[in-house]
Amino acid sequence: MTRRIAQIVCFAFGALLFALYFSQLPAVRSLNTTIMIDYWQIIFAITLLVGVISFVKISVTNIRRGDSRPYRIISLIGLTVMPVFAIFWGIKGDSPFMWMFEYVQAPMQSTVFALLAFFVASASFRGFRARSAPAAVLLAAAILTLLSRSSLEGIVPQIVTDAADWVRGNPSMAARRAILIGIGLGSLTTSLRVILGIERTWLGREK
Amino acid sequence: MKHLESRHWIFGGLFLFVIISMALNVNFDMRVSPETKKMFTFIDSLPAGTTVIVSFDHEASSLPEIRPLALVVLRHAFSRDLKLIGTALLAEGTAIGYRLMNQTAAEYSKIYGNDYVYLGFKPQYIAAILSMGESIPETYPKDYLGHSYQNLEMLSTVKNYDDVATVISIADGSMTTHWIEYGASRYNVTVTAAVTAAMMTTYDPYLASGQLHTMFGGLRGAAEYEKLIGIGGSGKRGMLAQSVAHVYIILLIIAGNIIYFRTRRKRRGVS
Amino acid sequence: MKIAFFIATAVDPSWFDMNRMPILIISAISVLVVLYTTFCKRSREHFKLREIAGLKAIEEAIGRATEMARPLLFTPGWGGDIQRPTTIASMNILSHVAQKTSQYDCRLVYPTHDPVIMTVAQEVIREAYAQAGYPDRYRNDDIFYVSSSQFGYAAAVDGLISRLKPASVFLLGTFEAESLILAETANINGSIQIAGTDSTIQLSFFIVACDYVLIGEELFAASGYLSGDHSILASVRAQDILKALIILIIIIATLWATVDPSSTWWRF
Repeated sequence: MTRRIAQIVCFAFGALLFALYFSQLPAVRSLNTTIMIDYWQIIFAITLLVGVISFVKISVTNIRRGDSRPYRIISLIGLTVMPVFAIFWGIKGDSPFMWMFEYVQAPMQSTVFALLAFFVASASFRGFRARSAPAAVLLAAAILTLLSRSSLEGIVPQIVTDAADWVRGNPSMAARRAILIGIGLGSLTTSLRVILGIERTWLGREK
Repeated sequence: MKHLESRHWIFGGLFLFVIISMALNVNFDMRVSPETKKMFTFIDSLPAGTTVIVSFDHEASSLPEIRPLALVVLRHAFSRDLKLIGTALLAEGTAIGYRLMNQTAAEYSKIYGNDYVYLGFKPQYIAAILSMGESIPETYPKDYLGHSYQNLEMLSTVKNYDDVATVISIADGSMTTHWIEYGASRYNVTVTAAVTAAMMTTYDPYLASGQLHTMFGGLRGAAEYEKLIGIGGSGKRGMLAQSVAHVYIILLIIAGNIIYFRTRRKRRGVS
Repeated sequence: MKIAFFIATAVDPSWFDMNRMPILIISAISVLVVLYTTFCKRSREHFKLREIAGLKAIEEAIGRATEMARPLLFTPGWGGDIQRPTTIASMNILSHVAQKTSQYDCRLVYPTHDPVIMTVAQEVIREAYAQAGYPDRYRNDDIFYVSSSQFGYAAAVDGLISRLKPASVFLLGTFEAESLILAETANINGSIQIAGTDSTIQLSFFIVACDYVLIGEELFAASGYLSGDHSILASVRAQDILKALIILIIIIATLWATVDPSSTWWRF
């Protein structure tokens, strides 16, 4: 019964939002806005709550078990401290919340992002081998692109930049478009299956 | 000491080269790419007093690359006396965007409420883009500082995308795609972008088809734009480190291939 | 119905935006093609999917994890939420993988950045275990939310890979910049990696770093390939038909635009 209701709601809203797309009537546009802003945001707020509750539950369980205890304790401290700062001292300007964000969270995130640079280096060393003709072409394209995006203007001739731009604008673009079209079609058919009720994996078990 | 693997040497070498190059101060004269020139020309062509939405669609992690891009766009826009409306589609971009707007506005003696306004973050980015197309006041009844939308002088004539010249998406991910898919295709708003280098090729098809009006990006794009507006910044300063890193990776690729061919020859020799 | 439609449009043109007529036509064609392939008996006959290397490797990956007595890690990436078709496609693959891991009693760990995805994944895996006949082997605590922040999520999953040392890592879903970080960490750990995403940028990273990659719509075809589910195979066939139509339109439009450069019928 629950699954049936969920399927009906899914179909109703899917069909409704699809139909609303084609109308410019003020009443229709207002309904569209109401669904988009109000309904969606309420769902988003509740999902955040679900996430927090799940995170706390798993962390407490792992702490009791002694599994990754230090990391879980630090996570729970962070989860508690930030809302306390926000509630008591606000989130604007020079508040403790903003200080934590700017001097703790942002640098930590930038650090993890910076790992990419090192991993690109090791992946390039491992991955760009001229094992075959297509691999050699890929290697050449990679070198052209790297040279064109640096600022070695006096050393790298203009033809290298032009060649890199040609690769980016022609074979690379063609492949990208083809993959995008394929992905677009896959998304289209999957979405249709969900709206029409053919795809029911997301509904879970019949209770 | 634990046995060092090849990747440890690779990581150490990259770290060393980047640190040394960041300590040096070398000026490069670089060619301006057509993309950056097009973005510059577009903003330059907007008449004074035109309203533009600047959307900070990025996270804190990409700030080293996003900050130079955001600063050049904001500086150019303020120098052209454009009216800026700041928004953010990702929570982390909110505070960063507000700070960057304030910082740049102060350089040009711009007044909040008259010359620029910051509306802040709205969750569910697709919903936010679509609802702004219907009514920006309904989407943001109050701005980031809590002022009522109706009380902001600059916003009295701005109801939806029809009243803005363009949306500039400053992004480190796929948010610009949503602006194109929902903003441009549905409401015909002109979308332009300043993105990180890794994302530039993602938007090439949209640029070629005209769905994305213009785009520039990466540290190199920021450095080129700094050259065009005649103001130095971290884009130019970071170019030596980026160039050195690129050359290092090219050398690694060459070294990897030399090792590969030597190993292959040895195996063939043995067999 | 048609008369009512035209009357309504004539009385108030804003009832239907004529500029969007091409989209309505294309949508109608797409729906008809999907319905035809799903429900028409004749379309179901003689339908076969070509071999996809990444999907054949799924059994190998699960077997490897079982033999080494190490867990299997499956994560859907940071870039998408449950409404995204890529996430739904990865859920279908997750269901198949969960059935296998339940049979072999191999631990399946599923970290995610979205609480709704976590909830759906819990249901999918619980049902898969129940269908396989091993509901008691289901561990709810192994499917959990880590962080909504991109690099918080990447750091958490990296930490899991480093500590749990999974034998196999599945990176199937929508990924952004964290893709190479996860793939390289799994590679350093010595895990076999099967990846698939709808992002063309991250596909490049996966192809360099991972053992097997599902490119583009192979991810959507994967669940049909693994389960033999008729409705999914039908939509793969629908995709092929629509692709053929697109190719036909491109050829016709290219030839037409070459012969008549001032034509604009193909623009919309």
